Amino acid sequence: MKKILQLTLGIITSVGGFLEIGSVTTAAQAGASFGYQLLWAILLGTICLIFLIEMSGRLSAVSKHTIVDAMRERFGFPFFFFVLIGIVIVAFLVLVAELGGIGFALQILTGVGFPIWALPVSLIVWLMMWKGTFSLIENGASLLGLITISFAIAAWKLNPDWSQVGSGMLPSMPGSDKAKYGFLAVSILGASISPYLMYFYSSGAIEDEWDRSYIGMNRIISTFGMTFGGFLSMAVLIVCALAFRPAGVQVDTFPQAALMMTTIFPKWGFYLFAFSMLFACFGAALEISLAIAYFFAQGFGWNWSEDLEPSKDARFAFVYTIIILIAAIPLILRVDPIKVTMLSMALTSATLPLAIGPFLFLMNDPIYLGKYRNGWISNSVVAIVIIISFVLSIISIPLQIVGG
Amino acid sequence: MSAKRLAVLPLFLALACKSPSATEQMDSIISWLGTAGLTGEAWLRHTTPDKYTRQTLELTHDSLIDISSGLFKALPSGIDSASVDSALTRSTQHIGLMAKLVEQKNSPAFRALLDSLQSDEKVVKQFADSIEAKEDQ
Amino acid sequence: MDLIRDVLDKKLVDREDCAMGRASGLVIQFGENTQPHITHILIGGPSLWARIHPALGNLSTKLSQLWGPKKKEHTRIPWSRVETIGKEIKLDIEAKESGAIDWEIWIARHIIERLPGGGSEEEE
Repeated sequence: MKKILQLTLGIITSVGGFLEIGSVTTAAQAGASFGYQLLWAILLGTICLIFLIEMSGRLSAVSKHTIVDAMRERFGFPFFFFVLIGIVIVAFLVLVAELGGIGFALQILTGVGFPIWALPVSLIVWLMMWKGTFSLIENGASLLGLITISFAIAAWKLNPDWSQVGSGMLPSMPGSDKAKYGFLAVSILGASISPYLMYFYSSGAIEDEWDRSYIGMNRIISTFGMTFGGFLSMAVLIVCALAFRPAGVQVDTFPQAALMMTTIFPKWGFYLFAFSMLFACFGAALEISLAIAYFFAQGFGWNWSEDLEPSKDARFAFVYTIIILIAAIPLILRVDPIKVTMLSMALTSATLPLAIGPFLFLMNDPIYLGKYRNGWISNSVVAIVIIISFVLSIISIPLQIVGG
Repeated sequence: MSAKRLAVLPLFLALACKSPSATEQMDSIISWLGTAGLTGEAWLRHTTPDKYTRQTLELTHDSLIDISSGLFKALPSGIDSASVDSALTRSTQHIGLMAKLVEQKNSPAFRALLDSLQSDEKVVKQFADSIEAKEDQ
Repeated sequence: MDLIRDVLDKKLVDREDCAMGRASGLVIQFGENTQPHITHILIGGPSLWARIHPALGNLSTKLSQLWGPKKKEHTRIPWSRVETIGKEIKLDIEAKESGAIDWEIWIARHIIERLPGGGSEEEE
């Protein structure tokens, strides 16, 4: 019974925790600019993420190591440090973007600009980390995030041409603006395949004391949870394709994005969007802060647990405290969170080999996984998607920078 | 750093600072005009709060001024921009006025300006199509 | 036993399973007529950073003398204190006495406990 409840909760939290400012912004821009043509990027990213999340849970359940524990032990400190730098820089940018997303949501609700909200929002995120438990963060924030299901309902109510939607699941070249198309494809992949989700999930498996008996449940949670989450991203793209593209509106700013559901839900559309972004970004900010702190604590062998009092895992608490406060600074200085979002998503894509490469080695190491090692399907799917992401990002990011 | 790399650097910086083309600027203008239209319709349906509507219209107004100031330098030669110039100026002014009407909660006057905006938008879109055709030649 | 696979970078825990960090280095003694053998496990910044570059190790040593618990020496755990080597290395020692968690205690007392709700690292 307990496992069934955990399973249900696991799927729900995966759905509720999927959308955040990166996935919404990239999907919105893609839908507004290219209609359904970039649905394939969300599909590819989601498939890859399902495999990665399943692998993260399996590693922790079987080896009783988190990904970071295993990476440090298997590859040694110098390599681990190199990965730490890359991952933490990108994760930090994503954290700035998420805090900015919360600030923007409050801005459109109250009229007060996001720079004013930066510090209060950071303090609330920090307080939740300081006083909250892992369960509260994992379940509470994600249950609130279920409001994002409104995007799926909006997409269904808008009654798109489903055959065209189906065509969008296969890659195709656009007629014009190829540089922007490539950049958006890269950003969507970066938004879907976020390494911080893996570190968070594997740490959560240890916090929840998973063992080999959880392998089946892990498969179900990762498959159904991430699939439903991917559908939500696709729903955002479809909604924006129908709401913005006919009017020629490109979603370059958050206030523009806020209009996406105002036609289909006349009374509540604006508020559904605002609260969806508020809760989704809040949940994501908590997960990223935890993921960064986990990375340091597990890598250096400190005490760590969200269920401990801060003084009992002082260095872990110190890291997330510093990270959250520093992340507020760019927002106070009025750096545009949307620009940070697009940059961080593209950089995530470009640094995927750094995060996923060592992980794939671990998943094939008999010392950690014994008979539960990866099969050729898992290895192939992940390797192919990572290579595609990396190659696309090497081509697209410079083109987009040059193209303005 | 070798002399060769130093020589390439200004070229790279020049490319990185390349101005958007006339087509790209027209796409941005159409995007902002569309934003004003959607925002206006949403407000008239009482879907969006006053503060958000006013701020979005002000953002639209400021963005249009910024883009328009650079547009006419980027236009290909032989293009008569008089009609689009007046449509753009009028629509930008109207959007500014619409923002003020939101504060006054004056829906009828707001509706009239929104309708006028839609006809100016048609002129701008036709002009954008002609620019795109000229740049493709 | 493979020293690099089984010892280096492994997590260290004390008698009560309290985390003590990771093995950042090993001290091996060579003798003329004896087999080389490990005498100590090193924990902490200087030995860790030196693995990237010796200059970073020196910098870490200097900084650790200026700030925080102001340690003058590396933390060294005698090899004789190793009880078991498995998923973690269990040591027959108390973490607080070893010096391995001096930084943890310093940050707890000087920063974390001064914030509301930080608790106390000394409470059971």
